[in-house]
Amino acid sequence: MDPFETKVVRGVTLRKDPARESCFTVADTDDQMISWPDWTDQSKRERIHRHMNNEMTTTEVAAQCLCDFPDAPWELRMELARQVWDESRHVMGLYRRLKELGGRKGEFPVANFEWTVSSFLDSVIGRITVMNRMFEAGTMDLMASLPDGWRENGDPQTAELLEAIAADEIHHVRFANHWVHKLCAENKRNLLKVVQAVRFLDVAQKALAPPPGTTNLVGVLVENVAQSAPINVADRQLADFTDDEISVLLKQHDLEFLAAKQGARA
Amino acid sequence: MNVKQRANNVGTLRCISVFLMETLARWIPTTPEMEIKMLFSRHVWRMAQQADRLGRRARELRAPLHYTRAPRPQFMAALKQLAAVSDSIDRIDAFHAVALPTLAAAYGRYLAETDRLTDEPTVIICEQALTEIATMRRERTDWGSEIPKSRAADSHELAAVRQALAATEEIVDHSEQAA
Repeated sequence: MDPFETKVVRGVTLRKDPARESCFTVADTDDQMISWPDWTDQSKRERIHRHMNNEMTTTEVAAQCLCDFPDAPWELRMELARQVWDESRHVMGLYRRLKELGGRKGEFPVANFEWTVSSFLDSVIGRITVMNRMFEAGTMDLMASLPDGWRENGDPQTAELLEAIAADEIHHVRFANHWVHKLCAENKRNLLKVVQAVRFLDVAQKALAPPPGTTNLVGVLVENVAQSAPINVADRQLADFTDDEISVLLKQHDLEFLAAKQGARA
Repeated sequence: MNVKQRANNVGTLRCISVFLMETLARWIPTTPEMEIKMLFSRHVWRMAQQADRLGRRARELRAPLHYTRAPRPQFMAALKQLAAVSDSIDRIDAFHAVALPTLAAAYGRYLAETDRLTDEPTVIICEQALTEIATMRRERTDWGSEIPKSRAADSHELAAVRQALAATEEIVDHSEQAA
């Protein structure tokens, strides 16, 4: 793996941002971002713009894995190459929609948190753990409700676009699950790399979490626009999370009654 | 061309495909322009699929699965020179106007030299690769003004890459040390 440049944000060393055109303003923390809790035209464009940059970041993480880990199993590299293509289609789909809604690239600040954390890790198993099994799986949870939100706010086209993206993301999470389990079964040391990766993400998230009362650049409380969603059990099952893993996640989210339901169904 | 020579060619074409896939992958985070990143991203998957098909064919030619054979050192050095290009327009041209035509010529030479009947599985792979190369070259212009056009004259860096690749007459290294 080639050496890379780093940056320090609130005491945490992260990988330096990927290259962005000068029209983009790159933010490190939520208080440097813009977003609104409502569904005005401007807010809709910002949501799509942010999602577009997130997909671009995921493209870059998967691409960087291909050049950083030439000795990774070929079948895993094929999955990553396919992911690069998938994510690029997501970017272009969102960009097309952004332009249809009168937006432009660089209209709002962007953040590359997922790249700065994932691509800092020095193992392919660490990166797919954080990027695919955690970030992408988190997106999968959000995607369970996002399309309905767009439909309720009069935009079925964006809802359909998001549903198409969500279908692809399930496979990205699934292949990561497959390879994390396989690589750990082959070599127990890989378990340590997974634990280190998860811990690093935890440290970074805690360091960059906005203190209570933090507002963004348009004066909106960050906690009012933070995206969170309950565990999307159906899609996590499609992505080959085990029942035990889903139960643990539900317990972490105070949703043990769903875990019990899962047990009863099994 | 005997079976061993076919395997050497297939392994070399695979090596070049993987190298180009990795080069594009390396360029994606380091190229600022979004549309160019996305164009390179599309090509990553096509190059990966070409490498995969060649790798599977290698085993049918008595070589290991995904056999990868380094090309002649002079050609490899030229490829590394191409990978080091840093300007965005030069990168597009280096891939579309230099690497892809070179790769297409290598597939064309293979098709001209092999027996199309007994080696038909490789022939199909080569023909599919040529179709995909044409598609990749077309995508550059299909995206209209989103992708910048070539400069009127090559930069020094691009001209040097073009010259280095053109100077390599033979790509496949049949010596034992390349195995």
